[in-house]
Amino acid sequence: MKYFVWHLVRRAFLNIKGNLYPNLSTVGIIAISMLVFSSFTLIAFNLTSFIKIWEEKIEIMAYLKRETPIQEVETLLNKTRLLEGVESVRYISPFDALAFMESKLGGQKDLLKGIKAWILPPSFEIELKKEYRNSTGIKGVVSQLKKFPQFEEIQFGQEWVDTFSAFVHLLNLTQWILGGLLLLAMIFIISNTLQLTISARREEIEIMRIVGASPSFIHIPIYIEGLLQGLFGAGLAILFLYLLQEIMLLHLPSPIQLWTAKVPIHFLPPEVILQIVLGGMCLGLFGSFIASMKFLRYGE
Amino acid sequence: MIQLSHVYKVYPTQIEALSDVSLEISDGEFTYIHGASSSGRTTLIRILYGAEKPTRGEVVVNGMNITAKSFNKIHLLRRSMGIVFQDFKLLKDRTVSENISFALEVIAYQKQEINKRVLEVLEKVGLQGRAKDPIFALSAGEQQRVAIARALINDPPLLLADEPTENLDDQMTDEVMKIFADLNQKGTTIVLATHNKELIQRYPHRVIYLLGGRVDLKMEDEKKAEE
Repeated sequence: MKYFVWHLVRRAFLNIKGNLYPNLSTVGIIAISMLVFSSFTLIAFNLTSFIKIWEEKIEIMAYLKRETPIQEVETLLNKTRLLEGVESVRYISPFDALAFMESKLGGQKDLLKGIKAWILPPSFEIELKKEYRNSTGIKGVVSQLKKFPQFEEIQFGQEWVDTFSAFVHLLNLTQWILGGLLLLAMIFIISNTLQLTISARREEIEIMRIVGASPSFIHIPIYIEGLLQGLFGAGLAILFLYLLQEIMLLHLPSPIQLWTAKVPIHFLPPEVILQIVLGGMCLGLFGSFIASMKFLRYGE
Repeated sequence: MIQLSHVYKVYPTQIEALSDVSLEISDGEFTYIHGASSSGRTTLIRILYGAEKPTRGEVVVNGMNITAKSFNKIHLLRRSMGIVFQDFKLLKDRTVSENISFALEVIAYQKQEINKRVLEVLEKVGLQGRAKDPIFALSAGEQQRVAIARALINDPPLLLADEPTENLDDQMTDEVMKIFADLNQKGTTIVLATHNKELIQRYPHRVIYLLGGRVDLKMEDEKKAEE
């Protein structure tokens, strides 16, 4: 059995060696198609991670009416802490707000000269519990906050996150539609290349049949050939994608480099890489199956 | 060894290649299938090694009913026989030994066993010392002997040959027919399809005459009467 399996694998490699040029072309085309597909996967993956990080940081800013007496602020602070979904609440006085703005402006803080702290409204910085850091959770907390008349305005970044999520969703959809078309093209190419190689070996296959080779002995090397084409194609695509990302990260303009320091750009995780490679192999197998169905009929 | 009962073969083009053919070939027999062009002799040989399915009738070869609906082991049928063709069907880019060993490689024999058998079979066909020669360097007769060696490497009890001497001159034909005669003497059943009357006269054995896809019994009777 071991010898038989070794023989099948050896035959597949010999077939590839014997038809090197068509096999290399197929691997190249698979690699390009898989590269396009993987690029979309990588972009979508990083944008999704970005949304997750953003959602982690999401908080509600509730601005108080200026005339709210300080004693009432204390009571409101305690009531807000008790609201469902609220993790912590921090009071930001107008002075704290001005200091924060100055720190943000850095060297240009002189711009704030002449501005008095009292023109800034006091506010509550509300951090949400983890399970409430989503569209529904935030809306629930906001509706509770709106019941307090002391709040003049309530701000949160969820709308932006929702729009961004919709964009990522659209990107995912494009990835799968484009990916689907590329996958169909790949199956077509693999099956055609293998048909060419089968055709080139027609005489040898005929003799194999005459001398009693089993159908598995004839078909399995062709399936292995398809699997290997898919494996090498997908492997090359992943390698190119990694190199492309590394090169791009090295040559990013400095403002974007600062930004990426805060929101790191990751390469695809091992499980996604494995899925892409396995996907490539499955496509190769399917292509070779079609080719063998078309060309190799039992008994002839 | 071989039994055909009421075998018909009609191709999709409605050409009737065989019509109600019944015959029996016993173990160890040397039998010619003789007929002119379009007599159905190649179709008959193709049916015997499972390359064609009869439209009707029953065919039993080496104990296997190859017309049974459940029969799906054509590769096993072919391992139980050797087949020799008019055009040799050799791989031109390989050597003599590579061509012969190919028949055992595809049924996953161990390398050592293959090498041993190749040497034995080369001796049987008188090609000892030519193992490493490329096929293109061989004469037509030698190429046919390589094809016979390949057919014999599995030591089959049955050898089918479709016009094996068609492309050979008299001397080469003699060499090939001598190999067949030796094999037959050692017990191998030989079925040789030919249109060549002269060959049958020079090497007389049982003859099944085919005429328009039917077994010509009249011809068989005449020949028996002559004998």
